[in-house]
Amino acid sequence: MRLLLFLLSTILFSGFSFSQYAPLNGVKDSKSEVIALKNVTVYVNSNNKITNATVVVADGKIVDVGTKITIPSGALEIDMNGKTIVPAFVELYSNVGLPSQGERNYSQRPQIESSKKGSYYWNEAIRPEVEAATLFDVDAKAAENFSKMGFGFAVTHVQDGIVRGTGALVGLGNSDTRKQVISSNSAQFYSFAKGSSGQTYPSSQMGSIALLRQALYDLKYYSENKNAEQSLSLEKWKNNQSLPVFFKTEDKWEILRAAKIATEFKQNFYFVGSGNEYLITKQLKEAKSTVVLPLNFPEAYDVKDPYLARQIPLSDLKHWELAPSNPYLLSAEGIQICLTSLGTKSPEQFWKNLQKAISRGLKIEDALAALTSIPAKLIGADELIGSLDRGKLASFTVFSSDPFLTEATLLESWNQGTQHVIKSLPSVSILGKYSLNIDGKNYQVEFTESNEKPVGKIQLFKSNVNTIGKKDTVALKMAVTLVQNDISLQFNCDDDNFKGSINLHAKISNNGSVFEGDGTLPNGKWIRWSGIKTTKTDEKKEPTTLKLDTTFIAKTWFPNLAYGYDSIPEVRTVVFKNATVWTNEKEGIIKDATVITENGKIKSVSTNSTATPTNAIIIDAKGKHLTAGIIDEHSHIAISKGVNEGGQSISAEVSISDVVTADDINVYRQLAGGVTAAQLLHGSANPIGGQSALIKLKWGHTPDEMLITNAPKFIKCALGENVKQANWGDFNTVRFPQTRMGVEQVFYDGFARARAYKEEWDNYSKNPKKAEGTPRKDLELDVLVEILESKRFITCHSYVQSEINMLMHVADSMNFKINTFTHILEGYKVADKMKAHGVGGSTFADWWAYKFEVNDAIPYNAKMMADQGVVVAINSDDAEMGRRLNQEAAKSVKYGGMSEEEAWKMVTLNPAKLLHLDDRMGSVKVGKDADIVLWSDNPLSIKAKVELTMIDGKVLYSSADASKSEERNTLERARIINKMLESNEKGEPAKPFVKKGRKHYHCDTLGEEGTEEENLH
Amino acid sequence: MKLLLTLLLIGASLGSWAQAKRILLTNGFLHVGNGETMESALVGVVDGKITMVQNSLATTINKKEWDTIINLNGQHIYPGFVAPNSTLGLTEIDAVRATRDFDDVGEFNPHVRTQIAYNAESKVISTVKTNGVLITQATPRGGIISGTSSVMFLSGWNWEDATIQKDDGIHLNWPSSTEGGGWWAEPAPKKKNDDYEAQKTKINEFFQLSSTYAKAKKTNVDLRLEAMKACFNGNKRVFFHADEIQQILDVMDFVKEFNIKYPVIIGGYDAYLIGKRFKDANIPVMLTRVHSLPEMDEDAVDLPYKLPFLLQQQGIKFCLQNTGDMETMNARNIPFLAGTAMAYGLTDEEALRAISLSSCEILGIDKKFGSIQVGKSATLFVSEGPALDMRTNKVSLILVNGKFEAVTNFQTELYNKYKKKYEEKQK
Repeated sequence: MRLLLFLLSTILFSGFSFSQYAPLNGVKDSKSEVIALKNVTVYVNSNNKITNATVVVADGKIVDVGTKITIPSGALEIDMNGKTIVPAFVELYSNVGLPSQGERNYSQRPQIESSKKGSYYWNEAIRPEVEAATLFDVDAKAAENFSKMGFGFAVTHVQDGIVRGTGALVGLGNSDTRKQVISSNSAQFYSFAKGSSGQTYPSSQMGSIALLRQALYDLKYYSENKNAEQSLSLEKWKNNQSLPVFFKTEDKWEILRAAKIATEFKQNFYFVGSGNEYLITKQLKEAKSTVVLPLNFPEAYDVKDPYLARQIPLSDLKHWELAPSNPYLLSAEGIQICLTSLGTKSPEQFWKNLQKAISRGLKIEDALAALTSIPAKLIGADELIGSLDRGKLASFTVFSSDPFLTEATLLESWNQGTQHVIKSLPSVSILGKYSLNIDGKNYQVEFTESNEKPVGKIQLFKSNVNTIGKKDTVALKMAVTLVQNDISLQFNCDDDNFKGSINLHAKISNNGSVFEGDGTLPNGKWIRWSGIKTTKTDEKKEPTTLKLDTTFIAKTWFPNLAYGYDSIPEVRTVVFKNATVWTNEKEGIIKDATVITENGKIKSVSTNSTATPTNAIIIDAKGKHLTAGIIDEHSHIAISKGVNEGGQSISAEVSISDVVTADDINVYRQLAGGVTAAQLLHGSANPIGGQSALIKLKWGHTPDEMLITNAPKFIKCALGENVKQANWGDFNTVRFPQTRMGVEQVFYDGFARARAYKEEWDNYSKNPKKAEGTPRKDLELDVLVEILESKRFITCHSYVQSEINMLMHVADSMNFKINTFTHILEGYKVADKMKAHGVGGSTFADWWAYKFEVNDAIPYNAKMMADQGVVVAINSDDAEMGRRLNQEAAKSVKYGGMSEEEAWKMVTLNPAKLLHLDDRMGSVKVGKDADIVLWSDNPLSIKAKVELTMIDGKVLYSSADASKSEERNTLERARIINKMLESNEKGEPAKPFVKKGRKHYHCDTLGEEGTEEENLH
Repeated sequence: MKLLLTLLLIGASLGSWAQAKRILLTNGFLHVGNGETMESALVGVVDGKITMVQNSLATTINKKEWDTIINLNGQHIYPGFVAPNSTLGLTEIDAVRATRDFDDVGEFNPHVRTQIAYNAESKVISTVKTNGVLITQATPRGGIISGTSSVMFLSGWNWEDATIQKDDGIHLNWPSSTEGGGWWAEPAPKKKNDDYEAQKTKINEFFQLSSTYAKAKKTNVDLRLEAMKACFNGNKRVFFHADEIQQILDVMDFVKEFNIKYPVIIGGYDAYLIGKRFKDANIPVMLTRVHSLPEMDEDAVDLPYKLPFLLQQQGIKFCLQNTGDMETMNARNIPFLAGTAMAYGLTDEEALRAISLSSCEILGIDKKFGSIQVGKSATLFVSEGPALDMRTNKVSLILVNGKFEAVTNFQTELYNKYKKKYEEKQK
């Protein structure tokens, strides 16, 4: 080790050193330096805090740290006076020094293909070729901002696209760019956001998921097949495979969605969270996930106006309260966390929020580890960064006191051995009383609080207007600025001597006891002034200590919004007595019956007196009607970020089951309408849409728990005006097809390609050795093959008889059957053909007149199809109508005179049949799922109300509970609003309210974010 | 010619009744519309007017007095239902621009009138009428003042024939105190409308200008201001489209400031929260569609169903209307909106009133319409069962101003046509 001492100014204040490869311009600069920082409190790492320590820095690295250290001779020794040193934080999610995401290319005409030159991947959202290090340039301003937060390192990447390429680990000093790049390829970054790509595909989150999966399969194919088509993107990506992947998410459910992809490809993703991960701690813990958590806790709302305040969703209020506890709640469960400054507006806010997280229970060592050692380890840089142990880079931050325990001031930021002063403390103390002489007049002043932020007061004497000879004393606050040895004072004088602003500046001498300088009087006169200290006060030794926030913090609800449960209802044994039971079986409607549910199934249905099981809940259903739960064959509730992947004519690879959300209040509202299961369908923007999600409306459960286990596979297809984009304006005339003629060809082409694909794979699996490598896996064609093999059923959006007939011909020619025509408003015209083909119809009771192709829709449709032997269901396709499907079913009694029993089956047993779920749902039969609704009246009566809804034996809705929940909502809101008002009164930042809109997906809703245009079904 | 018929024949024999002048309906279950009912009722119609409403048990019929006597066999008689605030007749197919005639260019369009755009031959109308809805208020949309509505029959050779009340009022879309962020299904942010005050001022200025114009003795004609005149002397109603509490309170102030004689609020979702102050303001409400989702997550899941009852309890004058998604074709479901309101608190006859007499009172046509009482127009229908329940709403006879209307429409024709196809196939 070379122990040489160089010029003091160089060591302390030169910010510059140059890359070792660059030729020298000028004379040789110092290369190494040894500095000993004495008398410090140092967090060597998250588990080791030592006081009265010495830190020795040389050559940009930590040479030694501890209490009993021999300081190398020749070292520059600096007395730190007990200041605290913290290892530089490591920012994992940043684009510091890089261009920000460009504007999305927008044109009125859809852009279907990539506009990028070069042999890159076909989709612009897949950009593994982007390398941050090739674009990085030091951004001094941004670096300064990070320094003020305590960060010394960042992994920076171009935040654009689904696969975003690699991030570089950089130091956050402001010296030469080359010197700051520590590792040019540190990590890969993925997300579900397509970014600046102007391509139509993907237009939804499920599309992003499918695209990412396909791209990963393509990568695999590319890596394993020598003959694969060359791709610059895949080549780079292949080489990045050893790097860790950080997956940026925007909601807790997105983490679970990304995790599924990780599992599918046997990879490990680290998740960059959005702040509401406290709602999925159980899943994160089970999966042993690592999450990078943002500290951008939501600001309070401005709730002073009650008219506006009442519109703030309770979920947002609850999130405001719980968000600062997010790091603690995860950490307490043993989930590995990192912290990111992502989204924090300023260093002040970052520190305030970090301290808030600690005050909510996050342990200091966990907080520190989350900012240093853990991120360092995740990117494999823990040899160099993440602590101040020997040999690590000398990047750290100096604080006036312990920043985790006290209100400390951040003073210096050291970047690889180079000091950068953020704030210098005054070198003298002015606290105490002074006697000032201003232009020959005498004044007494006092400085209190701290030298950093001194508060000055001056005493003025003014003759009393009413009493001659009497003088009033006025204590006036002065503006005081203290920088090193310079003090300036300003006050607006109003006494017997002066009226107006007096501005003074002076040098301080004699260790703070003498001021001498110049200033101006109100009349502009330039004067000399002086001050002498008369009484000295010591600075407050102990800085303000941070306290644990012990105020009551509510628990999360399931889901964490209005009408959420405290805990999820359990499966109970329930006995319904004296009920009128609509069995949907050969027994028909039976009176005074007893229905028993046990272990989530229907255990018995009988009119004889049966023994009551122990511990059962007994419900007297006298005068009430008990039915199977309603099944909505066509629904679009509980879906995140897009119901249509309209970017291409065939999007069979996307699946609604990837994007089910559990936070949609409409789930609860539909439970209140007796709905227990639904098919969540892709929209109708393209001929072959996406796969369905078959769910039970299990309010309070996770999306995965809502999905029906071992559900039959379904896909949505569509015909007519929507798929030919007839009502999409004059610019959407590019995508094939634009006519019903073209629609037919899309189907033939898709299925023909699928056949060829199947053959390719069959040949390969028959003789894998002979083949020239694995065929390329195509997620879209995989699904079409499933259709051809009758392993996946089609629910097809359809209106006019010509197209209905056409699709049946297509299917017949390919030897499979269309399972269900949905909407099917002209089904009555071809019901005989439908019967012959064996397809069912799921229709509206009475909708029509909303577009040209529904001109011949008649409300007798359901009855007429049923009369021809077609299995007919009535569906909603609408979040509002979904909660009164009983009324819609009843309309077939009016239009065409269907019997009540048959009408009722159209919303229960028949949709179960169409969904191939009738072996477990759709009727009140022993052994079937206990999905049961208790009605106040005949369920087809306009007067019928739901009293209780049970799914899988759990009572998930009852009208009595709903009223209680209403009261609870009110109380919870009031409690949090009161807290927020306190915050408002303290003058803490507040934002205007934001209310949830009342928009819902329909079949033709496009994109992740739609417009408020009228819906067409 | 004298006819003695039972209702079984009605569909077929409409032609022969076309000239009927003196009609007697016997043995009906009468729902007057004002809350009263009468079993075994006799309803007499002469020259389009109701001349007799009596209990058959207490009355002897002189058959010679009637040229048509129809025995209803206990079926239900209702006053014609009303579809206020509707684009019915102003559009045929929502998605086809060529058929949309309810929204013109401009912010203040009081001079734009729906009456002359009303398509009396609308196919949609033919399907709404057959569920008992016989009167509508053809209402414009868009802008701040959308235009002037007219109250129309769902029947007539042309718009002149169909007119009940020409230019009954202007429609003012009160600005929202919140502003839509516009996501579709994800939590969609809506924000405080920072321009709310400015937008209110704009309306205020227009009304000041209009009222000055109305008082002035002679001015150059300004079509917009001319159309506003009648709002200040009570000849036109002012329909304020407003739902939020802030909007409603501001409308209450506005009505006072401009001394508007016949204000009506359309929507009024939050009205129940204001209570007595709102009741005292005496502004009737055409209530937000009963079959709609609650505005806020926390609202009771059945709040829109209960709103009629909540207003009824507070003594606030209201009726039902149906604006919203696909409102034209959905107008035929107005009876079932009332039905749902009945399930959620209103009595059967209160629910009925909310789509008949109350609607007519709020529209200012209750002297002639809205109930089955002597002296009123014979605009009524007969249903086989209770008309507010979809199972039993089966309309078997319609009278509009004393004239028989078809109880069939093109949809029933298609029904019969294809039924025949299958019947023939079976043979």
